[in-house]
Amino acid sequence: MESKIGVFLCNCGGVINNIDFDAAVKKVTKFPGVTCVNLSSNLCLEEGREKMISCIREENIERVVATCSPEFNEHIFREVLEKAGLNGHLLSMANIREQCSWAHDGNVTMKAVELVKMAINRVWLLQPIEKKELPVSREVLVVGGGFTAISTALQLSRVGLRTTLLEKEAVLGTRAEELESFYGFDTSAMISSVEGDENVEVLTSAEMTEVVGKIGDFSVRIRKGEEEIFRKYGAIILATGYQTELALAPEPRLRAEEEAIYGINIVSQEQFCSMLRNSSLETQPKTIGFMFDFSDGNSRFPTLATLNNALAAKKKWGSEIYVFYKSVKVDSEGMEKLYQEARNCGVVFIKSDITPRITGESGRVTIEAKDVFLGEDIMVACDVLVAEELYLPGEGTEKLSSLLNIRVDSRSFYQDENVHLYPVTSEKKGIFLIGECRGDLDLGRVLTDISSVVMNVHGLLSLGQIQVEVERVKADPQKCVTCLTCIRVCPHGAIQLIRADNSKEVAGISDLACDACGICAAICPARAIKFQGYRDEEILAQIEAIGESLNGHIVAFCCEHSAYPAADLAGRLRLHYPENLRIIRVPCAGQVDVFHILKAFEHGAATVLVLGCEDGACHHITGNTRAKERVRYCNMLLKEAKVDGRPVAMYNLSPNAPHKFVRAVNEITKIIEEYGR
Amino acid sequence: MIIAERKPMEEIKQLMSPYKKVLVAGCGTCVTVCWVGGEKEVAVLASQIKLARSADGNEITTLEATVERQCEKEMVTEIKDKVAEVEAVLSLACGSGVQTMAEMFEDKPVFPAVNTTFIGMPEKEGLWVEMCGACGDCFLDRTGGICPIVRCAKGLLNGPCGGTRRGGKCEIDPEKDCAWVLIYRRLEKQGRLDLMREYYSPKNFRAVKRPGKVQAVKA
Repeated sequence: MESKIGVFLCNCGGVINNIDFDAAVKKVTKFPGVTCVNLSSNLCLEEGREKMISCIREENIERVVATCSPEFNEHIFREVLEKAGLNGHLLSMANIREQCSWAHDGNVTMKAVELVKMAINRVWLLQPIEKKELPVSREVLVVGGGFTAISTALQLSRVGLRTTLLEKEAVLGTRAEELESFYGFDTSAMISSVEGDENVEVLTSAEMTEVVGKIGDFSVRIRKGEEEIFRKYGAIILATGYQTELALAPEPRLRAEEEAIYGINIVSQEQFCSMLRNSSLETQPKTIGFMFDFSDGNSRFPTLATLNNALAAKKKWGSEIYVFYKSVKVDSEGMEKLYQEARNCGVVFIKSDITPRITGESGRVTIEAKDVFLGEDIMVACDVLVAEELYLPGEGTEKLSSLLNIRVDSRSFYQDENVHLYPVTSEKKGIFLIGECRGDLDLGRVLTDISSVVMNVHGLLSLGQIQVEVERVKADPQKCVTCLTCIRVCPHGAIQLIRADNSKEVAGISDLACDACGICAAICPARAIKFQGYRDEEILAQIEAIGESLNGHIVAFCCEHSAYPAADLAGRLRLHYPENLRIIRVPCAGQVDVFHILKAFEHGAATVLVLGCEDGACHHITGNTRAKERVRYCNMLLKEAKVDGRPVAMYNLSPNAPHKFVRAVNEITKIIEEYGR
Repeated sequence: MIIAERKPMEEIKQLMSPYKKVLVAGCGTCVTVCWVGGEKEVAVLASQIKLARSADGNEITTLEATVERQCEKEMVTEIKDKVAEVEAVLSLACGSGVQTMAEMFEDKPVFPAVNTTFIGMPEKEGLWVEMCGACGDCFLDRTGGICPIVRCAKGLLNGPCGGTRRGGKCEIDPEKDCAWVLIYRRLEKQGRLDLMREYYSPKNFRAVKRPGKVQAVKA
């Protein structure tokens, strides 16, 4: 059964001047299934959209091909289709502007027509995707009892969302004293207002023991003493903070009888804070030493604490203060000023490349270091040494991360350096990470996190329902062999076993939790998982269309989060690359299947490029590393088949790296040219 | 579950060399689960053969089919029309599936494209380990549910041998755990260490009748 296809070409107000549109219209009209071809100069503007709607209605168009970059206009044209009474997903786009006209010199009419042909081949196969409202719980669980957690609960309460504050300690705000002395916050007022808030339930001495479910519907088991509590939450926010540990070099050790001075002569920042607050201190320290930035270079917090405490001590006791450091890093708001103020007050800063030697003698602490500027050894005897501190993830971070199945970074803080997750989201929809549990954030950054998470959660849960696309990615229960592969590989934890129609257990993909990456579809050994819009048929239709008109071309599978926008940007900057490159847009490099690549070779491709996000910054966490593995495997298969000399290449790039995109294309082109000789 | 490994392309190409049209037949059970012979691998292998033959300038046509269990005659019959169209069948099923196909389509050569390797389980995504040697005389009751016949490199019934390495690793492969250390620890947890003192006489593998047959007691 053939559908009526409407093709809408646009010359973008005449900007596209190296395509002969009259010739293109004539050619496209002849393609099978095409009912009408329209040429517009402003398809995305109101006038163009109105014309599109009336054309769809008058000609009874069932599927639409439009030309422009999907990055900009796919959502606009989907709306147009919906207004015209079609399902928005029966649309395929041919990017004849950025990836054709602007990317090449000279007349590119042929390529434009071929790109339209690719889109026509694909649009035939597309299937409608319906939308549905799914109910979600409006309750939020905030784990943690510090400033970040309390502020979040208060702000969520203000926007009308009920919150449970889950703290493992017996009281809230155990670290609040530090904030009071640094920033002058009245934390006790905050604690009493959160305890009195009717939208906030405070559970202290309690911890989470089990979590199942997904965004909008998490079932959480909480243990509070002997009591077990079951609750449902729409979202979970982790604000579990940090802990500190003294970072004294193990050698040389203080002699045994002098170890007692820990806590008296060698103190932590927190202990020093309480010394400062103690008005009945017997003897005020005359000489004080501080140390930071010798251990792991993550010294934002230790520096901030040192500057604050050194200034306070100078003001209160007028002590002599020596600060030993490797580097002063003043990347927080107001920190540079604080540093200047400390210097002006007479705090002495001593830069040393090696960790100072600390020894204790007759109740005093001696610090020996090599001053970088003087080039001389320096020795200071202090009454008190505020030792360097390591900032570590809060206690229990490891347990929570395995409970929720969330990854941690190399320092075991939540959320690694993935730009797609910044600032507060995790790889699991509905689980958020805020404040110091993500690393040593200063107050400004913490406040941004809080606002950010409140907006996110409010947007998700405030209506009590979320609109989802139904079965966009689905495992066919007839074909699923219950091998569990998809469940093991899904980076978003969106797949679990379900019993479809009371028959055997099969993979069930949650429409709510699925982030539409297609990693599962590419790995499913039974080819049971179908990702609408990127099914095998739809990818192969494009590969076939390319093969019909070209030979010895390059097929580039471009991730829509990185390489595709990079290619668009290359066009916008008029960076040129060879015309025989054909781009197939995919939701993630991890969606590219080995057999799609082999098919491209079968249809005459000289080679294939797989382009995904930068290492460690994959929108779908593991997609780019899986793609790299698959490319390696694919090259092994090609070598076995004696198709060698032109291996598949994988490049990692970010969406703002058009030059890298062009470099990748040029490099591979050179390889192909050399192979051809 | 039965675990298998793909044969090298060179060997498969050799097998296919006299033919111009073949059926690549997958199996939807064990070999699908271990990523070697399901619908996906059928597509990959079909594509790879075509590329290989095309590189040799000797094109080949492939048909593809995957049945739920190639070791069931009734299920194999479902693809008889496709078999009729081709000169030979390349099966991605275990040895049992290949033989069922061969028996059902006696006039067509049926070739194995995989080596059936062992009975095992997935240790993690994409990694399968051997668990059972199908010896026909199960011993697991005495060894805390750990089979020394396949998990001990020497298949010792009375272990461990003298070569256990530090940390309970095997002397033959330091990457692998010593099965007898695992057995000891498991029995220790269950308070059944007395079993370690028992002596077990050698199994009489020669007594296993080939070919094996199992008759269900109930009809």
